[in-house]
Amino acid sequence: MIGRCLAGILLGFPLAAVLLRLMLLALGDSGGAWLIPALMLFFPLWTALMIGAYAFGSAVRAWIVLGSANALAFLAQWVTQHGR
Amino acid sequence: MKAVTLRTFQTVHTWAGLIAGFALFVAFYAGALTVFHDAIATWQNPPWRSAPDAHVPLSALVDRFVTLHPKARDDFGVVLPSDGAHAAYVFWLSDQGSRYASYSQLAAPRDESDPGNLADFVYALHDSLGWPTVGLYIMGIASVLYGLALVSGVLIHLPHLVSDLFAMRVGRNLKRLWQDAHNAIGVVSLPFHIIFAVTGALFCLFTPTLAALNWTAFDGKLYGQFAQAVATAPTLPASGVQAIMQTPQALIARARQAALASDVTTFDPDYMHFVNYGDRNAVVQVRGKSLHTLATYGDVALAGADGRVLSTYVGSKHSINTGSNWAMYGLHFGTYGGTALRWLYLGLGLAGAFLFYSGNVLWIESRRKRRHLDQPRRTRVMARVTIGVCIGTCLGISGAFAAVWLSAYVDVAVGIAQRVAFYGLLCAALAYAFTRPIAQAAVHLLGATAALTALVACADLARNAATFAADFSQPAYTVLGVDLTGLALAWIFARLAIATMRRARHGDPNSVWSAHVSI
Repeated sequence: MIGRCLAGILLGFPLAAVLLRLMLLALGDSGGAWLIPALMLFFPLWTALMIGAYAFGSAVRAWIVLGSANALAFLAQWVTQHGR
Repeated sequence: MKAVTLRTFQTVHTWAGLIAGFALFVAFYAGALTVFHDAIATWQNPPWRSAPDAHVPLSALVDRFVTLHPKARDDFGVVLPSDGAHAAYVFWLSDQGSRYASYSQLAAPRDESDPGNLADFVYALHDSLGWPTVGLYIMGIASVLYGLALVSGVLIHLPHLVSDLFAMRVGRNLKRLWQDAHNAIGVVSLPFHIIFAVTGALFCLFTPTLAALNWTAFDGKLYGQFAQAVATAPTLPASGVQAIMQTPQALIARARQAALASDVTTFDPDYMHFVNYGDRNAVVQVRGKSLHTLATYGDVALAGADGRVLSTYVGSKHSINTGSNWAMYGLHFGTYGGTALRWLYLGLGLAGAFLFYSGNVLWIESRRKRRHLDQPRRTRVMARVTIGVCIGTCLGISGAFAAVWLSAYVDVAVGIAQRVAFYGLLCAALAYAFTRPIAQAAVHLLGATAALTALVACADLARNAATFAADFSQPAYTVLGVDLTGLALAWIFARLAIATMRRARHGDPNSVWSAHVSI
């Protein structure tokens, strides 16, 4: 329980952050025109990830899946920014 | 959903609710009253009792300010009163920190905006338990936990959500009735609770969240982007050439004209921001409130020298960023509607407070030993803390109203008096809850809250009776409304005290709420 809880808090936070950044980058002009709505989405997204973490069968699985999702999302962000 | 996952969500719901419940009870009870912030301010200082500087023209205030404080003319604000019966005041940053002054205070300004303002104190309890910064972060974390409790609560009840929504099983099983009431309030007011959880977390944790997002995913560019997103006035460098400024009244008239051309029906200015006052490039921003729109507030920026409109962010001329920023504020505080909506928000706030109180009661009831008079220690402690904090908060807020009422007759600093009354009564209620039998403490504390609330309302009605009879103006109507609401709340507390007493005497004796349990 604690393991999944920590996975949701610690890995959910950067994942929610980078997903919003990716969304803003996809909107063009760094998404500046949509920044406030994106910030409003941050807490619902983080909460969804924290709740989602409890649906995993074990803490190890939660850490592996959320960790991989983070790695992929940060990679996608790096490619989006440096591939231009 | 698998049974094991459902059980996990039950645990998440219980613990998130228990940890955040007390802070959220204070937030909701004080928040419900905060919806009528301006009415409480009028109740404290009705114009027929004291209204210094209320009729000083804005131009006289600004002229005297720039003469006495020439260094501050680069950047200062003027807070406009919500009605004609109160005074406008200037706000600026001096070398010693923030300064505030109405016309007669300009030579010796204050370092607090309005020390002793009861409505501001109730608001501070709502947003930070009255504890700056640390309390704000505690409330922010409580809001995040509240979001978790909401989502997990909905997931638990999802299988029976529709069939149980209107079920109110009044019968011998009291726990079932409390559970039905808890679920019904939670589900029916869910959209509002989602709004409060999301906006509450963002308002309270804004600074650390922005810093963390900037560091994790925005490559240090977030602060710049954010400043750009919410900027509503052009930045013009000072020219160094002096110019005669338009009067504040003329600028307000121009701003209103520009605002009303942006698809809003009203525009009531509440704040003006002056940059480089007296310079040819001076910029004056007028912020105002519009009814019948979700983005309640808007800004019009004008050139100080000739009153040209430089930018308009009102109604249909809001950008996506500025519009959603103000919409978030409007949704949280219920400023987008009129009086009926404010009453709805008051009802929702009180219902929310009940949600957290009933959550604790359910936790206690689930752990009740049905065949023993003695109840487990943890449920006794939880019952004591619940009545101490929850009823103590209500008692303390009524005490703060009483302290403010009395301060008109006793020479004390009203800001200190209301704090001492609130925190003193809260601590006393907790001490009482821990030293008396639980059922007795609950009845006595509810009775004391009812009595004190009714006493303040009656005393204030008596004090103002002559004014009500002579001149029934809008402020008189507001003060009467606050007093009658106090009487209604007192009646509710009295009914709760009677119900708790009946439960203690005649209910199942094997419970912490029974008078038969003397520990």
